[in-house]
Amino acid sequence: MSTEQNGAPAEAAPKPTEAPKEALAETPKQTATNQNEKPSKDAKSGAESKADKAEPKSSDAAGDKKLTGAELKAKAKADKAARRAQQKTSKEVAKGEAAVSSSPGQLGPSAGEVKAKGGKGKDGALAAAAAGRPVLLKAPPSAVVTEQKIQIPECFSHLSMARRIPMTQADKDVHPSVLMLGQQMATFTIDESITRLKATMLAFRKVIESYITPPGNVLARHFTPHVLNIQIEYLTACRPMCFSMGNAIRWLKLQVSKIDMDASEEQAKKELCQTIDIFIAERITVADEYITEQGAKHIKDGDIVLAYGRNTLVEKAILYAHSTGTKFSVLIVDDPYEQLGQQLAKTLTDEGIKVTYSGDFGGLRNHMRHATKVFFAAEAMFSNGAMYARAGACDVAMTAYELGKKVITLCETINITERVATDSLTYNEIDPERSSAAAFRLMFDATPDKYISLLVTELGSVQARSAPDLLRKLEEFN
Amino acid sequence: MDKYTDVNQLLARIQGVARRLVAAQPRELVIGNIVRRVLGLIRDEALENRNEAGSDESISSPVRDASPPPMSASVSSLNEATPLAKMGRPGLMNALTRTQSMFNLLADPDTIPPIWSTGASPAPGSGVSTPMADPQSTDVKALRSEVIDGIEEIMDEIRQVDEQVQAYSDIIIHPGDYILVHQPCKTVQRFLTRSKRKCTVFLVVDPSAHPAEDPYASFRKSMAATGSVVVNIMNTGLMAYMSRVNKVILSARAIMGTGSVLVDGGASVIARAARELGRTVIVIGGVYKLSPDNQIDQETATEWGNPSKYVNYSDGRMVGQVTVKTAVSEFVPSELVNTYITNLGAHSRDHLHAIVNDHYKEADIEFDLYGTIRK
Repeated sequence: MSTEQNGAPAEAAPKPTEAPKEALAETPKQTATNQNEKPSKDAKSGAESKADKAEPKSSDAAGDKKLTGAELKAKAKADKAARRAQQKTSKEVAKGEAAVSSSPGQLGPSAGEVKAKGGKGKDGALAAAAAGRPVLLKAPPSAVVTEQKIQIPECFSHLSMARRIPMTQADKDVHPSVLMLGQQMATFTIDESITRLKATMLAFRKVIESYITPPGNVLARHFTPHVLNIQIEYLTACRPMCFSMGNAIRWLKLQVSKIDMDASEEQAKKELCQTIDIFIAERITVADEYITEQGAKHIKDGDIVLAYGRNTLVEKAILYAHSTGTKFSVLIVDDPYEQLGQQLAKTLTDEGIKVTYSGDFGGLRNHMRHATKVFFAAEAMFSNGAMYARAGACDVAMTAYELGKKVITLCETINITERVATDSLTYNEIDPERSSAAAFRLMFDATPDKYISLLVTELGSVQARSAPDLLRKLEEFN
Repeated sequence: MDKYTDVNQLLARIQGVARRLVAAQPRELVIGNIVRRVLGLIRDEALENRNEAGSDESISSPVRDASPPPMSASVSSLNEATPLAKMGRPGLMNALTRTQSMFNLLADPDTIPPIWSTGASPAPGSGVSTPMADPQSTDVKALRSEVIDGIEEIMDEIRQVDEQVQAYSDIIIHPGDYILVHQPCKTVQRFLTRSKRKCTVFLVVDPSAHPAEDPYASFRKSMAATGSVVVNIMNTGLMAYMSRVNKVILSARAIMGTGSVLVDGGASVIARAARELGRTVIVIGGVYKLSPDNQIDQETATEWGNPSKYVNYSDGRMVGQVTVKTAVSEFVPSELVNTYITNLGAHSRDHLHAIVNDHYKEADIEFDLYGTIRK
């Protein structure tokens, strides 16, 4: 490591001299920033050494395998280093949209980096980081970088967090549609697991469409490591992947590898796009419709349905039940920090459903006493039957369980993961907007299977504990 | 106009004021507690004075003969709670020398309030107390200063609560603990600050508070002095944190003799979550918060308040069509609490009854503060 570090600056030396010239032409500001940033080298090197530590791990993670949380994090760290390398080049290229169409001179290091990454697989990440490091020393620390250093209490330091990465800092090979999606995810504009999944698949479809196999390569061999992985890394850096995305990406990589080597590029791309379309239709669109119907069947005349926050699937199920003429009312308990339940309240009252709304968990037991059924939509299901959902869901489910109310969880099978979570701190995400040096917010929690009466999926309604059986069922299909 | 001529008038007047206060804030049990403490104090002082004046008089007072007429007259207007109180009375009447005040207390609570507002207007009680007026009038002045002294003692006691409670912090807090508190009152804050042991405090804040202002800034600072960390938790469901938490400390609004606790809205679900995972739940509050009231239960305890806490009143669609409910305070059943810490020490649930009996007189416990509200 140390030798690389020493050798690196020499390699990087020519760049600063070359860059300002161009930058000067465009914006005089940039030289100023470059100068200002020099004193902060020390701060940088701290972060850098962090990245170094992460490297060995990340190199393992670079493979095709599904990533565990720890690996993801290590990877994210390596990404950060790589991105910083990009940062400089892309900054000089200037202004978001130009990131893709940059001049060849500046692309030099990053192009090499990309090759190293893809070509050698495991060693790639390491090499990339090494290549990135010299640039990194001079890289200007942006506001975002400091923002990322929010002090997280030590006991939560293992959890990941979404970060807003300026588009200019993204890898230049990130496809524009993915670039956009990353921003939407980082800002939680696209939030729910299933919507994120759908948007990702559609973005990847565009990536495939615009992909051109370089001469001497085959799509099946070249696409995943050289193109797809870059997109995934960027998305993961913007916001940790949700479990459904992990599942889908694994599936997509498998599909790419299955493509006939002899097929023409056009043919291969067409096939891939078709499979993605089918995937979206089967696993998301139709699944949602079926779950909506099945969920709605559980709502009977006279029921008082308790919903926590707002979730598209729950909303759909309630609206569907209403449209079939069932007479019931809805009790919404909300998370005061998100207040999405108010949206739901409005949507439902517009349809003429009677709604009672409680902004927080005060008097939850009183509400629960009145309720007859509780509906959740899972962000993910663990294979021990635990439900991964909006923070607070566990408390609501627990209260329901105690009062003997039926708890129904709606979930597409794509959200089922083979991982196991026995508590809420195994897998979770930190809310970047509300976490600071003094404040902290978890975004999810894990509800033990015993609180959940029924899991409604597109493959049928089962006990939460049977989630892994559904996974097995899925494997049989494929 | 507000001069009183004997103990009974004083008691009646205080009861009248008490009802007004309670009617204004029926969920604030501490009001009732303090009123009862003061009533008990007056009774004690009066008894002392009377005994000094000569016990023969009070025992052979004509009260018992005089009592029936106003009683029967007011029976028709008795509310449903007084017959219950009546049941317990005969025994007391014979046993205690303070029969007179007892009777006055229970005669007809609903007709008493006018007394204090109209000054010396005769109430059912007045007929009873007249015979006693002469022997007592001399004591009134002495009584007054003694009662005022007594009230000051109660005030002192309340003032010292925080300090006394603090003494137990090192027993409760262990090095490296993760302690979860819900909107801690000053008592709890001082309790935590006192301990010199390094711990991490998860502080559940009021979600409606503006994120920029930190009402606990000074608390955080003083905790940092001992190396402890205070983290504001911006979640309402705390189940996610429970696997990490060692102890949950709740600040009580009031503690019932049964061990149930009135807390700020949102704390109940925390106690439940803690219990579910077997975490210790500790309730902290001065003894003055310990209420002899037994009328409050799970169903009635939740106080619904300001609905615009989360829903903006300008949001017509929400205001017009949705029923919005926001709980201000709620109930934590006794089975969710492990230990109670007051200025008198740490108590188990079963011990609370004894403390209640130490602090309140039976006559005052039965005093129906809610008479006027229920109508």
